[in-house]
Amino acid sequence: MTAIPPTSQQQIDNSCRLPLFALFGGAAVWLALSSVFGVFASLTFHKPSMFADCAMLSYGRAFPAWANLLVYGFCLPAGLGVGLWLLARLGRVELAKPWLIVVGAKLWHAGVLVGLIGILAGQSTGFEWLEMPRPAAVILFLAFMLITVWAYVTYTRRTEASLYPSQWFVLAALLWFPWIFSTATLLLQILPVRGVVQASVAWWFAGNLLNVWLTLAGLASTFYVLPKLTGRPLQSYYLALFVFWTLILFGTWTGIPAAAALPAWMPTLSGAASVMMLIPALAVVAIVILTVRGSQTPCGGGPLCFTKFAVGSLMLATVLLAISACPQVSRVTDYTWFGHGQTVLRIYGFFTMTMFGAIYHIMPQLVGPGRVCPRWMRINFWLVMPGILLLALPLVFGGIAQGLKFIDATIPFVDVSKSTLMAFRISTLGEFFIAVGNLIFLFNLLAAMVGYYRSVGKTAFAEATALQPVGVKP
Amino acid sequence: MNAEPSQSGRVVLETEPTATGLTVPMWLIAAMLVLLFLGAWYFDARGGWFEAKVYEPYHSVADVARFQPRSGGDAVLLRGKVLYEQNCALCHNPDGMGKLAQAPPLAGSEWVLAAGVNRLIRIPQVGLAGPIEVKGQLWNLNMAAMGVMYPDEDLAAVLSYIRNAWGNKASVVTAEQVKKVRTELAGRSQPYAPDELKKEAE
Repeated sequence: MTAIPPTSQQQIDNSCRLPLFALFGGAAVWLALSSVFGVFASLTFHKPSMFADCAMLSYGRAFPAWANLLVYGFCLPAGLGVGLWLLARLGRVELAKPWLIVVGAKLWHAGVLVGLIGILAGQSTGFEWLEMPRPAAVILFLAFMLITVWAYVTYTRRTEASLYPSQWFVLAALLWFPWIFSTATLLLQILPVRGVVQASVAWWFAGNLLNVWLTLAGLASTFYVLPKLTGRPLQSYYLALFVFWTLILFGTWTGIPAAAALPAWMPTLSGAASVMMLIPALAVVAIVILTVRGSQTPCGGGPLCFTKFAVGSLMLATVLLAISACPQVSRVTDYTWFGHGQTVLRIYGFFTMTMFGAIYHIMPQLVGPGRVCPRWMRINFWLVMPGILLLALPLVFGGIAQGLKFIDATIPFVDVSKSTLMAFRISTLGEFFIAVGNLIFLFNLLAAMVGYYRSVGKTAFAEATALQPVGVKP
Repeated sequence: MNAEPSQSGRVVLETEPTATGLTVPMWLIAAMLVLLFLGAWYFDARGGWFEAKVYEPYHSVADVARFQPRSGGDAVLLRGKVLYEQNCALCHNPDGMGKLAQAPPLAGSEWVLAAGVNRLIRIPQVGLAGPIEVKGQLWNLNMAAMGVMYPDEDLAAVLSYIRNAWGNKASVVTAEQVKKVRTELAGRSQPYAPDELKKEAE
């Protein structure tokens, strides 16, 4: 029996290039657009009449546009791209049917576009994190399935038999999203259930999307990037296994707020599960500290910086989630900006930062050395990192102050709203920082891709126009 | 960092990360068990054991039952309270203390607390006009026939409520008693004067 020769690095990179360009490029465009909508939505709080004459930019449309472009436009395709790369690299195998994955990626972005138009036209479904109208949901599901199938085929064709923890997380994420997304879309949009069941389905979906899917995809990248860049082995296989099972065991129960108007067992179980989420988060922190400790690799505003910041944000967001699940705290924090602060910290602080880290690690290998500008990458980090803190922390503290005033019946509602203004000014500043950082990310990525294609074109042109030796008959 | 051909001409692959075999630390397992125990305790205390009828702010079936009217009598008084607060409290005040120049008090009123309910039932059916002494004070006002629109059961509930609220303690009024008086008063639209009311049996 002859050993199958492992695919060379160059072949793997070649097979990944176009699908990852399609996924990352589109994701960067949506991310930049999303943060522009985020700024619009945030400005509405300072001067409600600012966009009052433009229905498309009113809060009820700009905010869902921000949220959906962020999650469906950026998080999912970026997570998929990184996941495909990990499956190919760790399995030492070329990506199966790259052109079909490119078709899937384009279809996905088309679905996001349909959803965005639907939301801006006022056709949103009204379910948080699932505002895109039905046609968009169907397109997104088909596109995800197309990519999932070929990702799975890539996995089965791998030449490296032993599995690395990142691969479990990618595979679980590939299966988790179709499950939750199809269930929620079927039960809310295609064959709608009635009454409070709708609310519980929507909360279950949001909990699974934000607390499970994003964590699975983000940790797949974290567990790869950290050991790779520090040159130290992951500490350890068993801790990663522990994170994996506790995350999907406890995470899938989360999402239902403590004051939900549902039978008491549902918010109670969900709250207990939210507190249990501390366990996988603590284990992640343990893994990261044990892995990175003693490494001499400088952080330098690069992928390592992004990933370390992401892990810190994950821990902080999980602590906030656990605290706000306690009834004594949720009495204050429910219906305030606190929850939004937690969500922002999770999506921006954890997930997009891991993706930035992974993409800045992967892209130079796809486009060739020197085409992703390291200086702009550092500027990107130093804009987005403070931006996230300026956005999330004022919302968290402002939310607590707001909640304490809410439960005091002697304070008029207008005064409660006014008291959050300062927090909002700071968080709008944070939105601006993030928006500029995201634009830099977009241009850095596009410039790298353009640079790559230009060099390919130049080579082809040079080959085509090269002087043929004279006097030699063919 | 792409693969470089080594000296032997074979392609050397970039090394990919590996994981060590370090076991899960005990403190993590212990922390998980402690949180699981607390979570189970929390669910036991607040979750209502999957009972679909138990909603926040109640935490068990017993809790829900405690806040429901226990008997038919309680249900009648609860109904009376709702009707009173919708129709009577504007003038007589939610605490039954009456309002100056609008309506005399019901709390502690000898007219409300009379042993027999025959006179009391007549007042809301046709109204009351003229000087009346309540708790030693003279009131000279008019009351419209507020109760004429209400079914016997509802009027009985309101009257029972005012006889048993704000420290009042007297027998309840039944729908039969209301019906009997209503038949007697059929066709009358003239409100009672207090002196005339005193001539009726108690």
